[in-house]
Amino acid sequence: MKKIFGRIYILIIMLFLYLPILTLIVLSFNEAKSMSVWTGFSLRWYQELFHSKIMMGAIANTFSIAILAALIATIVGTMAVLGMAAMKQRTENVLMAFNNIPMLNADIVTGIALMLFFLMIHWPRGYMTILFSHATFCIPYVILSVKPRMNKNTDRLFEAALDLGASEKYAFRKIVLPELKPGIMSGFLLSFTMSVDDFIITYFTRGAGINTISTLIYSEVKIGIRPSLFALSTIIFVVALVVLITVNLRQSRADRAV
Amino acid sequence: MSELIRLESIVKRFDDTVVLNGIDLSVAENEFVTLLGPSGCGKTTTLRIIGGFEKPDEGRVFFDGKDITDMPANQRHINTVFQNYALFPHMNVGENIAFSMRVRNKPEQYIKDKIKYALKLVNLDGFENRRIDQLSGGQQQRIAMARAIVNEPRVLLLDEPLGALDLKLRQEMQYELVRLKKELGITFLYITHDQEEALTMSDKVVVMNEGYIQQEGTPEQIYDEPVNAFVADFIGDSNILDGQMIAERVVRIDGVDYPCIDGTEQGFPPGRPVDVVIRPEDIDIMPYGQGQFNGTIISKLFIGVHYEMLVQSENGEIEWLLQNYDQHDVGEKIGMKVDPENIQIMHKPKSEAESARELDL
Repeated sequence: MKKIFGRIYILIIMLFLYLPILTLIVLSFNEAKSMSVWTGFSLRWYQELFHSKIMMGAIANTFSIAILAALIATIVGTMAVLGMAAMKQRTENVLMAFNNIPMLNADIVTGIALMLFFLMIHWPRGYMTILFSHATFCIPYVILSVKPRMNKNTDRLFEAALDLGASEKYAFRKIVLPELKPGIMSGFLLSFTMSVDDFIITYFTRGAGINTISTLIYSEVKIGIRPSLFALSTIIFVVALVVLITVNLRQSRADRAV
Repeated sequence: MSELIRLESIVKRFDDTVVLNGIDLSVAENEFVTLLGPSGCGKTTTLRIIGGFEKPDEGRVFFDGKDITDMPANQRHINTVFQNYALFPHMNVGENIAFSMRVRNKPEQYIKDKIKYALKLVNLDGFENRRIDQLSGGQQQRIAMARAIVNEPRVLLLDEPLGALDLKLRQEMQYELVRLKKELGITFLYITHDQEEALTMSDKVVVMNEGYIQQEGTPEQIYDEPVNAFVADFIGDSNILDGQMIAERVVRIDGVDYPCIDGTEQGFPPGRPVDVVIRPEDIDIMPYGQGQFNGTIISKLFIGVHYEMLVQSENGEIEWLLQNYDQHDVGEKIGMKVDPENIQIMHKPKSEAESARELDL
């Protein structure tokens, strides 16, 4: 009895989580523009999506910004961690406190602040300002994910490498970097997803003629949303799902190999 | 034996704390030297200065007659076995051992042969492709040794290498280390806080405390003739007692006069207050009334080979620690005797005012 109740409970949770997405996927294959009546299967919204310059442009912007911002944030953040490791403990703690503030700050405040900053220095808002903003808000997350890998143990391994005759450069490349790699990778992925996800900061820091997926959807909502956006959302969801499954499969296979 | 390493009045401060207070040390070629002391005594800092990981604030470090004080760690002919081994976790055993040779661009065949040789030396043949996290603590310790010696250093620094192992393994590894040292024919500079390790393996033991070298000597000298109460207390169990020289080669402890072998020549003229060390195994038990003094056994412990007893002296306040192979019961009244050569007379630690006066001279 208890078992059945538990199963029903899980089923309800799953429905809450996935029913909306399922609705979206189904509607993306609907022939009519209607959001409530099913008229038949068709791929016309997918066609429209791939032929729409505006949408393809928004997709390109979203992913190119995400990759570039994640790259910049990863490099800057990792260098910051290396720099902090050489500081006194007290200075390091103060810097880490400063690092944590932007993450707790509301996105809307960050967005408006960045917008005012760009206005003040007369930097015309567009692709570059979005990229700059995204890199900026990603850096603290990179620092947070790389920092724990840079610990006493890493110092010891570095010293061991020097002891065995390696130059500082060689020891860094062959020993320290591989030690930091998991943190760097997760920092990069975290930044990438945060950038793709972001709406508020992008909204305030973009210029007139430029859109990312999120700002495009927002502006479409006002004039009536088109099912081609459902198609786009479906594609994004499926891609994320496939990536997640392969990563998990590889992980569990690697664990079994041990 | 020629001198290989020499430290000259090394002083090291971290912020405001003085960690090393003028260390002078000489290590001869092919010697097994152990720095022994409690944690915080400065032994690790001394090792790190020799390894090149810390710069002394004052003093010089010499290696084979050359001043290497400012030479970076990666140019010194010295290798270290680190406390937690510091094996590279993303490399397998073979790659770990090969590291120092790859740095020097040695040919692959040479590297392969060397790995084989090193693994054989530490009794881990065929471990080339194991991952580091698949090794036990003892095996990691051996790999750390193998990695440090393939570079053919003239000195191997060992920073408490056995600290993380259990007792049985630690004793095995002590023999192993002595064997390795013989086979390699190089100098070992070893750090430990374990007095047993220091006494069993070393040619020379250097006892350190609070940034000073307290005593240097062979294990026998350190054990039998500690120069002060700290060394006596740190090395083995002992009775450290207050005494006073009352005549030439006679010391009074707890109201009883004992003949001893130290006198004015050794710096202990009659009248001088001294510290006295008597090892618990050097006190002989006699029938009541027949020894130099009497007491009552107040506790008894069986520790494997022998019994350890606490005896309350009849003359005064002192509780004596005794070790004896024979069994005696708690409450038994016994007599005790100490041979003159087993009474080790030591100078009282100087008070700060006295040391200051001495410095002025």
